[in-house]
Formats: sequence, C-alpha cells, structure tokens
Amino acid sequence: MDEVKVMDEQKRNESLNRPVERETTQYIVTRLGEEQYGIDIKYISNIGRMQKITRVPKVSEYIKGVINLRGEVIPTISLRLKMGLDEDEITKKTRIIILKLEQHESIGVLVDEVKEVVTLDEEHVERVSYDKDEKSRFLSGVGKVDNKLISLLDITSVLADVVET
Amino acid sequence: MDTSQYLEIFLDETKEHLQNLNTQIMDLEQNPENMDTINEIFRAAHSLKGMAGTMGYKRMQALTHDMENVFSEVRNGTFKVQPDMIDVLFKCLDALEEYLENIQQTTEEGTNDNEDLIKILNDILKNGGTVNAGGGTSAPAAEQSAEKAPEQAAAAAPAEGKTARWQEIKISDTERTLIDKAHSDNLKVYGVTVYVEEACVLKAARAFLVFKALEKLGEIIVSEPPAQDIEDEKFELTFSLIFISSSAKEEVISAIKNVSEIEEALCEEYVVPQAAAPQTTDEPVVETQPAVPQETAAPAASTPAAATPAASAPAAAKPANKPANKPVVNRTVRVDIEKLDNLMNLVSELIIAKNSLVAATSSDGSKSDLGSVNEHIEYLESVTTNLHESVMKVRMVPIESVVAKFPRMIRDLSKKLDKKMELYMTGEDTELDRTVVDEIGDPLMHMLRNSADHGLEPNDVRVANGKPEVGSIFLDAYQDGNNVVIEVRDDGGGINIEAVRNKAIERGTITHEQAEGMTDKEIIDLLFLPSFSTAKKVSDVSGRGVGLDVVKSKIESLSGEVEVKNKFGEGSSWIIRLPLTLAIIQALMVVIGDEKFAIALGSIQTIEDVAPEDIKLVQAKEVMHIRGTVIPIIRMNKVLDIPPREDENKNLTVIIVKKGDKQAGLVVDELIGQQEVVIKSMGKYIKVPKIISGATILGNGDVALILDANALI
Repeated sequence: MDEVKVMDEQKRNESLNRPVERETTQYIVTRLGEEQYGIDIKYISNIGRMQKITRVPKVSEYIKGVINLRGEVIPTISLRLKMGLDEDEITKKTRIIILKLEQHESIGVLVDEVKEVVTLDEEHVERVSYDKDEKSRFLSGVGKVDNKLISLLDITSVLADVVET
Repeated sequence: MDTSQYLEIFLDETKEHLQNLNTQIMDLEQNPENMDTINEIFRAAHSLKGMAGTMGYKRMQALTHDMENVFSEVRNGTFKVQPDMIDVLFKCLDALEEYLENIQQTTEEGTNDNEDLIKILNDILKNGGTVNAGGGTSAPAAEQSAEKAPEQAAAAAPAEGKTARWQEIKISDTERTLIDKAHSDNLKVYGVTVYVEEACVLKAARAFLVFKALEKLGEIIVSEPPAQDIEDEKFELTFSLIFISSSAKEEVISAIKNVSEIEEALCEEYVVPQAAAPQTTDEPVVETQPAVPQETAAPAASTPAAATPAASAPAAAKPANKPANKPVVNRTVRVDIEKLDNLMNLVSELIIAKNSLVAATSSDGSKSDLGSVNEHIEYLESVTTNLHESVMKVRMVPIESVVAKFPRMIRDLSKKLDKKMELYMTGEDTELDRTVVDEIGDPLMHMLRNSADHGLEPNDVRVANGKPEVGSIFLDAYQDGNNVVIEVRDDGGGINIEAVRNKAIERGTITHEQAEGMTDKEIIDLLFLPSFSTAKKVSDVSGRGVGLDVVKSKIESLSGEVEVKNKFGEGSSWIIRLPLTLAIIQALMVVIGDEKFAIALGSIQTIEDVAPEDIKLVQAKEVMHIRGTVIPIIRMNKVLDIPPREDENKNLTVIIVKKGDKQAGLVVDELIGQQEVVIKSMGKYIKVPKIISGATILGNGDVALILDANALI
C-alpha cells in the first residue's frame, strides 16, 4: 500500500516537472578581480564573511589555512591563487564560500565578492574549447546573462586538484 | 521487505552471539560434557538463525540452521562432542564472521554458500546419529524428552491458552462506521490475534511483516496495542487487530503464518460488540474523526517502509562507488544507563550555572556582582570538568571486546604450527577510548602471532632447554597514569640480537661499521623497519616482514608507543603504551611570532629560561647544556616559517620535550599557559606536515594548530 503511495507522489512530481523542457542550473555569481565566476549552487552549503584564517605551515601557497565553521575545522583555499590570479586583497566584500561535495568534507573558498544568483538553461551555456592554461582547466563553460559573460567553475575538478596536490 | 532500520541492532547482536559462541565452543572443547555450555551454544545458534532469517540473509540462515541441528542433537544426547567437530564448528563461525563482515561493508551477505561446511555438518548429523545412537544413555534421553516436552506441547496444541484477544479491542464509533461500511460493501471484517514465538528477537520486525502482509490483502483499521507501540516493540508476545478484507479467512491466516517466528495466528469474522450501541449523530464529530485511526494504523506501519528506502538507497549506492569505504553502519557504543543519568544530572547543573550567570550579569550594580560572577564561573568550571569526565567515561569501553577473540586465535595457531601453547590474559576489563579499542585489535593480533610463531620455540627444543613443553603467552593490560599499557609476553627464545644484526647487514640495511656501534636496543628497532623479517621460513602466520612496521605505525597513529624488552633465551615482551583518550588532551599554549600553537603536555618535560649566550654551536647545530646533558635546540619559528621577533638579546623560552630517551629544546616566543584542548581533524584536503598533529578551537573561536613534538625530534 505504501509503495503505491510513493509511486503516486513520483508521478505527480513528474507531471509537475513536465512543462520545463530544458535543464536549468542555478549559479552563485562571484567576483574574482574583474572577472565573474559562477559556482553551481548545489555544491554550496554556506556563504560567510571573512574571518580569521589560521595559517598552516608548509602547504601549497593557495591553501590559506583553516577556519572555524561552527566548531568544525575547515580548510580554506584562495580561488584567486588556484586560478593563477594575484594574491587576495581582503576587503569588506570578501566572502568565504563553504563548498560541500558528496562524500567529501567541507572546504572554504575565498572570493572577492558574491554578487547574485542566476538561473541558466543549457541554451545559454557555451561549452568552451579547452586551452591548457591554469584557468580554463577548471571551467565547465561560459554562461551568458544580460550581455554579461560568466565563467562557470567546474568545482569538482578544482577540488579534485586540491586533494591531489 | 525492508529491514535496514534493524541492521545496526542485527550487527551488534550477531557479533555478540558469535563472540559468545566462540567462547562457549572453546569451553566445550575443554569440557565436552558440560550441559550448560551446550545449551548456551544451542540458544545462541538459534537466535542467530532467527535474526539472520529476519534480515533476509538466507545463506547465513542456512548455515546457522545446520549448526543448530548439530547442537540440538548434541543437546539431546544423540551423540557426543568430538574434537573434529569443534574444528568444523570453528570453521562455521569463521564463515559466519565473513558473512557479517560483508553485511557490515555492503549490507549484503555475499555469495559464498559454504556448501562444504553445510555438507560436513549434515554428515555429522547422519554419521554421528548412527555411530552413537546406541551410546546415548538414558539420562540424556530423559533430559531430551523433558526439554522437548514444552516445545511439543506448544506445537501440538497451539490454541491452548491462546485466546482470540481481538474481542478485547475497544472500538470507537469511527471504527464502527468503517466496519458498517465494509459490511455494506460486501467486505469481510476479521478479528486477528497473532502470537509471536517466545524466542523471537525482533518482535517489532515480525509485527511489521505481519502488517505488511495483511495490507496486501486489505485494510487494518485498528490494532491492540496501537501500531506505534507495536513498532516500538511495546508489546508482549501477542497483538490483535481488526482487519477488513475481501479474502477468505484461510488466506489471511496463511499470509500471517508465512512470516517466520510467528507461533500462532487466530482469525475469525469480527462481530461488533453490542454493548455500546452507536448513537452519535453529531455529524462533525464523525466527520473529523475517521481519518485519525486509519492514519495511526497505516502510516505507523508505513513509516519504516518509507524511511528505509531512503536509507538503503545510499547504502546500496556507496559500496558501488567505493567498496573499501567505511562500513555502512555507524559505530555504536553501548552505554550504561547510570552513566547517562549522571550526564543528565550534569547537563541540568550546567543549565543552572548558565542561568545564574545570566542573572548575575543582567542585574545592575556591576561592582557588587563581580564577586558572584566569579563564583558562578568557578561553579561552571567544575560542572564542565565533571561533564567532560563523564562524557569521556561514556566513550570508554573495556578492551575485552578486542581481546576476547585471541584465545581462539591462539588455539588455531597452536594446531597450525603444531606447537603446544597457552594464552594467559589479565586486565580484560581495562577501559580505553572506543576509537582506540577499535584500532588496537590488529596490532595486538600481529604481536601475538609473532610470539606464537617466532617467540616460542618448538616443543622439543623447549624440553631440551629445560622449559615446560607447553609455551606460555601472556597478554596483560593495565592502566598506568594517563596511559593504558598492554603487554604481550612470551617465555620463548627471545630475540636473537646477533641474528637480527647479521640479517640487517646481509640485507644492506646497515653496514658492518654501523652494526659494530649499534646497541642492542637499536638493533631491535631495526625489526620495526618495513620488510624486515628474520624468520627463515615464510609461513602464512608471519614472516613476511609486513608485520611489525605496520604495528608500529598503527600504534603511533594512536599517539602510542611500542617498547621491546628482550632476554635472549628467556623470552621477549612487547609493551604498547596508549593514551587513555584521543579526543581531548592537556596542552601548553604557546605563541610563536604572532601565532598561537598548542603542544601536548604529555611530551613536555620542563620549561627553561635560557640566556642567548648559553646556546652553543656544535657541528653547526645549536645545542644547550643543561643539568649535565646536551640538548639540541630547535627554533620553532624556522620550522614553521614564521619571521623571528626583533628582540634578539632577550632570554629564550625553551620547552624541553622528550621522546623515548631523546630530548630536544623548542624555542618559543611566549607561553600562555596550560589548557584542555579538543582535538579536531583538519580534513583530508590539506596534506598537513608531520609536525602538526591536528587543530583545536580556542575560547575566542580562533583555530590553533597542535604541534607534535615527537615529529620534531
């Protein structure tokens, strides 16, 4: 009896989703220097203000250290350094985005500013051809919103890179 | 059917039963005639079978079933326990443990049918029966009939004493309406009473299955006790319900009886008791109520079903991705209720302390209240200290759970190596942090195997050397201050230092010249190097050289240490020293540059104030001379890449740390003081340098790193 109920619910959901034909993804738009980067919202568990980062000696330069996130010690990396940009400049707008990937622990990412949330469907995303430079290695595509271009970050490969090094 | 919500209980209890079986069968080997042991074994095997069946682990059930059969015959005195049988039984236990391991990893039992074992068991049943049939004396036979009597009685006269209790269900007007409606729809209304077997372990699971089976046939409108209570296992051996269905009575009964461990199901057409006539005419009441009883019955039964697919889906998905990942089931600790009560008390005290602090600070007249605030803070401090101790106690478990399997292991080794040996254990009740207890099993096993294989000489050599023929291995555990010491000792030949030295030279680990200058202790330390083994023969017990280095690194990862005491010709003892707990340590907070660090107090010997001119250079390294010893100096700011402070000429603060018999002086800039710190993991993203053993969160919310002084020496 219960299974039947579950089925019904699924069907209802399916029918609700039917009008939407294309897949859409929501991105949090962040600023690094002059450029805008989008991070898939499903990986983001929290966005916090800048807080004290405790340096960890003898680790890669882009690892800024560890922070205290509600009693958990979370490593924090500089997205700027990871993307081959200049060292971060901490301002009032600097944010730490806490990312949580399935089966991984949380990690903090420093960005210059968090701007907005955009919804992009497949049509507005252009898959870029991959150059071999540091930056585009971590991009999954470029999204177009109101004549602006947003580089979409492939968070999984950014973090996979962190784990490996 | 989905039973994953019971998986944890199942694993826990199965482990317990298996351990129990292991111990009991060991016992049986010594006293094959002990009826109590045999009964205990039978009961454990029976419960295992039942539990495996409930959870749908068919292979496990089949194997335990055949084991149970054998025990049952032994219990009935049909045949006696023979040494060969013990071996087979142990093999069965190993196979069961394998199933259990599989279940823990993947929730599946695996595909090993263990047909050979089942066949052997059946052969025992056949042959044992024919060989010893006449041998069965009258005494056991009498016992058999006595024991069987209640069972037979139960089987023969199921209805005896088992009344149809559904008449006792009090039905409300709502149910009455439903029943009337059912009658008018030409549906049948049944009263059902189900009796669960007395030995049934997961009554709630059985009841759930009964509900599930009945819901396929119709609708349960009310049950006694209520569905929620049944789900929570708040019932004795019976429950009753009223059930609307179009199926025939026989179908209903057989559906219920399909569920195993159901002793009896009674089902008759339900007649609405006439005593209280339906008289409510109030429309709203009738209208608002109907949903209620139905919902309590149906969702209560459906909650496990709804909740478990969600739970089982990731469980099933995980092993597919990472088969070697953590067990699907969370680790649990069984806690003495008294410890919990104590915790509750402390928490309420904590709340009182907080409230009085709030009261003290919110009232005006700040000066007069300062004293009382301090008083409250002191109170708060004592409460938190007690709370900490109590929580730690909850985490502590006796090492018994780990060491209990060793007698069996030594017995097997004794047979395999063809050496007579005996294991003596003391201090099994010594308590350690759960995380530590889980980890020390393997290292201890390694060391015991080493003792059995390398340590003890063959029996004839022992006799020739004037030692008792049977070798002794000792496992002693005891608490020593903030440490727990576990000692593995044997009265064998001890470590042959010369053999190790020659082997090391032969393997090129050290040169001849180095070998000359090495002390015995240094030579023994070579044994802990990877891939070093002096065993002439590689056996499947030991001698591959993968053992001791793993033991050492494991113990060190638990912040413990291994020490070896050796007397050539008389045996060796391996001493493991482990911290009581890993989660919270006493630490000294220091400042280096402008960063704060914690150093575990355990490794600190003294703190010295040293004038810069007292530091000398020896071979371009800084050392200092203190109380007759020369101690190398380590400038912490250099190690940690921190720019040095300006005031070069000031006296230096040097923390003397000790590892084994080596010492070092750590130069820091400031001391803050002693503090209890909670160790937090730094995650897997950062490959932390060895000198950092973790992080902790300070009172102001900042993170401070914990320095591992051992890694510096």
